[in-house]
Amino acid sequence: MSAPPRLFDRSLHRARLDRAALDFAAADFLKARAAGDMVERIEIILRDFPVCVDLGSRSGIFSQILSASDARPRVGTVIETDLSGTMLAGRDSLRLQVDEEALPFGVASLDLVVSSLALHWVNDLPGTLIQIRRALRPDGLFMAAIFGGQTLTELRQCLIEAESELSGGAGLRIAPFADAYDVAGLLQRAGFALPVADVDRVTVRYDHPLKLIQDLRRMGETNALADRQGKPLTRAVLARAMGLYQDRFSDPDGKVRATFDILTMTGWAPHPDQQQPLKPGSAKMRLADALGAIEQSAGEKPGEEPS
Amino acid sequence: MTQSLQNDVDPRLLEVLVCPISHGPLDYDRQKGELISRKAGLAYPIRGGVPVMLAEEARTLDEGE
Repeated sequence: MSAPPRLFDRSLHRARLDRAALDFAAADFLKARAAGDMVERIEIILRDFPVCVDLGSRSGIFSQILSASDARPRVGTVIETDLSGTMLAGRDSLRLQVDEEALPFGVASLDLVVSSLALHWVNDLPGTLIQIRRALRPDGLFMAAIFGGQTLTELRQCLIEAESELSGGAGLRIAPFADAYDVAGLLQRAGFALPVADVDRVTVRYDHPLKLIQDLRRMGETNALADRQGKPLTRAVLARAMGLYQDRFSDPDGKVRATFDILTMTGWAPHPDQQQPLKPGSAKMRLADALGAIEQSAGEKPGEEPS
Repeated sequence: MTQSLQNDVDPRLLEVLVCPISHGPLDYDRQKGELISRKAGLAYPIRGGVPVMLAEEARTLDEGE
């Protein structure tokens, strides 16, 4: 099997996170929202999770929110990981510096794996999902939020247009994102039971599009694509893109909109006691009877080649 | 001495950790402050009590070490 193409430069991403660590709290509102949402989902699951790992914990906001929640008594040990050692510095929780592409956890050693807004930077998401599923004990839970869908669509459009206008061609400046449909399929392929994915669209309003870029830098979310164009974004292209952004995506009060789609995925490590689908052909009642409808033949029978 | 105490790895971490490259077991060298993967021939450093489980940060083990 050939290796998947390397879309992201992981050491550059790590450097971006190192640099962002100092000022991360100034722009952690999306991480806080995603982590808070995950804690709420864990709160309603009435079972114990003795060992939990938080992948890409950054400043540790997930465990802070968890500690203040009703779910805390049911979650035992929380291990925080990050690709950036600087992100993990200055606190004394259980921490590991980990690359989400090569997880260091033993088979069936964990009960809960969470991750908020980190896994959209891995090159091989199916590979990471398989590693997570193996690290979970049977009936262990995986829950992760990633940026997906239409995230930063406004900025993407403006950068492409400004760059093709001024440089006669445009490169990829913003990473491609997965959507909920992709992700649910990936969970299933990775062997998770009961896979679910949903999207929370957040529209953030900024005084100026440059404030958006400043926030992305503080989050450590700036471009870490492996195949960045040789030339960095010029001042002229950036200025033109910011102008386009203000022209097209301003509200009447002059503020600009930025879309973030937070995609949350959930899957369970398989266990025989989980709900199972029935075998095909085992139905005891016709669907048409249950619906009170009259069944009409579509003219094809299973196994027959349509003529 | 204080240094080595601060650099001790919590046993709860050692219970779940394996080598990220070989998925083999790790030996904890408290003296050197390293987690040794014989299978991968790598020693992962421990910095301020935080195991650094990155291959690019690991030391390659010498012959016979």
